[in-house]
Amino acid sequence: MNEAIFPLLGTAFVMLVVLPACALVAKLMLATLERDALSGPFHGLGLRYLLLTGSTVLPLAWFLSAGMHQAESGQSMLACLFDHETTARCFEPGLFVLTMLAVMLALGVQRLRRLFAGNIPRPLALADEDEVLRARLEQIIAAHPGLQLLRVRVTTAPEFSIATSGLLRPVVLVGTAFASRVPNDVLASALGHEREHVRSLDPLRYLLLELALALNPFGRALLQPHVARWYGAREAHCDRTAVVGGCAALPLAEAIVQAARPTSPHVPALGAHDAKLLELRVKLLFAFAERCPARCCRHESSAVPVAFLLLLLTLLLPHQTSTAALDALHTGSEHALAHFWR
Amino acid sequence: MDAVWSKNLQSFAVSDVLTGLEKQRDIAYTTVMTVVSRLYTKGLLSRERDGKRYLYSPKLTREQFLEATAREVLDGAVSDQRAMAMLAEKVSVASANDLDDLEALIRRRRQELER
Repeated sequence: MNEAIFPLLGTAFVMLVVLPACALVAKLMLATLERDALSGPFHGLGLRYLLLTGSTVLPLAWFLSAGMHQAESGQSMLACLFDHETTARCFEPGLFVLTMLAVMLALGVQRLRRLFAGNIPRPLALADEDEVLRARLEQIIAAHPGLQLLRVRVTTAPEFSIATSGLLRPVVLVGTAFASRVPNDVLASALGHEREHVRSLDPLRYLLLELALALNPFGRALLQPHVARWYGAREAHCDRTAVVGGCAALPLAEAIVQAARPTSPHVPALGAHDAKLLELRVKLLFAFAERCPARCCRHESSAVPVAFLLLLLTLLLPHQTSTAALDALHTGSEHALAHFWR
Repeated sequence: MDAVWSKNLQSFAVSDVLTGLEKQRDIAYTTVMTVVSRLYTKGLLSRERDGKRYLYSPKLTREQFLEATAREVLDGAVSDQRAMAMLAEKVSVASANDLDDLEALIRRRRQELER
């Protein structure tokens, strides 16, 4: 019983106290960033992404790494990784790590199943689709130098317009119904928008964000408005980058409206707010048509590499510095048990 | 403001706005003057005297104005993401009318720019 108390109470403390506290700090920082009159909700997207994901992932990484370090008898990182003769293992931190991993796996798998459940249509290779559409897409891609590295696939999935899918090598999926009802300039602008999603590995980015929110029991409750603002701003950022990259603004506005158009009354209703967001994006594109926008958020695409670097540093930290916070958690759990049994 | 931004008016009198609007519909000088004065009071326009009249200038570009007012709108962004990045989420059938209006607006703006 004694051996189980730290893994159980420690995990509960991390999940129910540490993570919500970190989310709360992130929320305060996000609110400050979003209210900044100079930058506003469309700027600082990279930093905001780091706060949204890092507030959950980094504390978890630290506690897991510290637990593993203690389980390895406090050896240095190199010893942890390479000294296989170190057999004296501390039992309780190891169990703590396993309990944490089990809870994370349970929460993460549940979210992953929801994310992937039937949402991504099966693409068809271009060669399998009708020749007219194939020739049309090839012609559009050839005419726009910026689009030539895009990997485009078509799908006949109903209700599907255009999206970027794939974690490490994203492809642009184009719905045949959508492609057939828009002219070439509109399709080219839509592909230009997706090019930014591909370049920034957005599907991977979105997945990591959703997983981070799923692992923090209060993450969605505390951060959802900021997440929603970030998603909306991210789409507007891709519109801007597409125009800066040479796509026509008004055809892109038309593409957005066409892509949002419900093709069947059975489409899940997302409410009028989304139409308001579309209207905002369309009006921003009007502004871009009048005056080409300045390039914005140059460091935005470095958010994923920076996030991985921070994660690596956090994982290394307990091996090179101290694990005092975990010790405090350990002794605190023991004292709580002693107090309870007294 | 739409008339000012779309005509890219940097320094204008009430009559300049009236000339643009008169092409679209019947509108009185006093109506335009009232609206322009209200926009000045709300801080969207600045003005300086030019003889007997005022010359107005927009304080913000359309982009800056939209960015400044975007926060509330962005609250309504997609709440349940997928593992992919979509150009736009489908809206409800009830919002299809809004899309019709937006499409008409885009068509009109494209025609204006092509002229």
